[in-house]
Amino acid sequence: MDKNKGAAYTQGLITLVVLAVLTGAEYGIAVALPSLWVALIVIALIKAAIVIQFFMHIARVFREEGGHS
Amino acid sequence: MSADTAHMTDYKFKLSNNRLGLWLFILSDSFVFGGLLVTRYYLLGGHRPELDQMLGLIVTSVLLQSSFFMNRAETAIAHGDRQNFIVSTAITMILGIGFLVGVIGFEWRTAPFGPSDGAAGSVFYMMTGMHAFHVLTGVLFLFVVLRNGLRGRYSAERHWAVEACANYWHFVDVVWIFFYPALYLLGTPAG
Repeated sequence: MDKNKGAAYTQGLITLVVLAVLTGAEYGIAVALPSLWVALIVIALIKAAIVIQFFMHIARVFREEGGHS
Repeated sequence: MSADTAHMTDYKFKLSNNRLGLWLFILSDSFVFGGLLVTRYYLLGGHRPELDQMLGLIVTSVLLQSSFFMNRAETAIAHGDRQNFIVSTAITMILGIGFLVGVIGFEWRTAPFGPSDGAAGSVFYMMTGMHAFHVLTGVLFLFVVLRNGLRGRYSAERHWAVEACANYWHFVDVVWIFFYPALYLLGTPAG
């Protein structure tokens, strides 16, 4: 496995772990501290930002050159 | 300039336009889901539909994992790893179908209300129905990508369809990131 490919797979795995932890935190807050609804919205926004940045690669849209990598 | 280089330059030019087009589509589609979210908060406020929170967590986890495998599939084809691309795409499809089974097959059948039973019912079935329809179209898109992938139509240099499919799939995941707390976590169950 070349170095770039390994790094890309690792980044995907780290993103998944972070999203899983945030989802667990969301569930825990909703069950234990339901009055903290602001925290749930903030967590949802963070999760969406992570997916857009690391899975959807939004930065590619603003690149001049049109390659895939 | 050789014919191959000219084709590649042309492809890269089209690719940047295609990306912009896809993101504009995603933006326009997000207004539909934004409208549904506003409807939920306007009609239900501090209440939420009476649903099984554990089932909500399970289907959310399934969709989250599907996004991971979709990203893995795209990474694989971008590095010419065809076998990993095929396997990851197939897993994404299976998880997508699993999500549909969880929401339509279990949640819709076990929910203690129907679509016509007040605001909570209308909001729940409309939101999950519209989202499930997008998941279904995503699964069909994945099927096409998988079929073409098995025929060797994608390479590390040319795989726009895979990138488009991945972005669409992740968008569906982003929508659920907002729908999940709105339907399952925020507020007290509507009696």
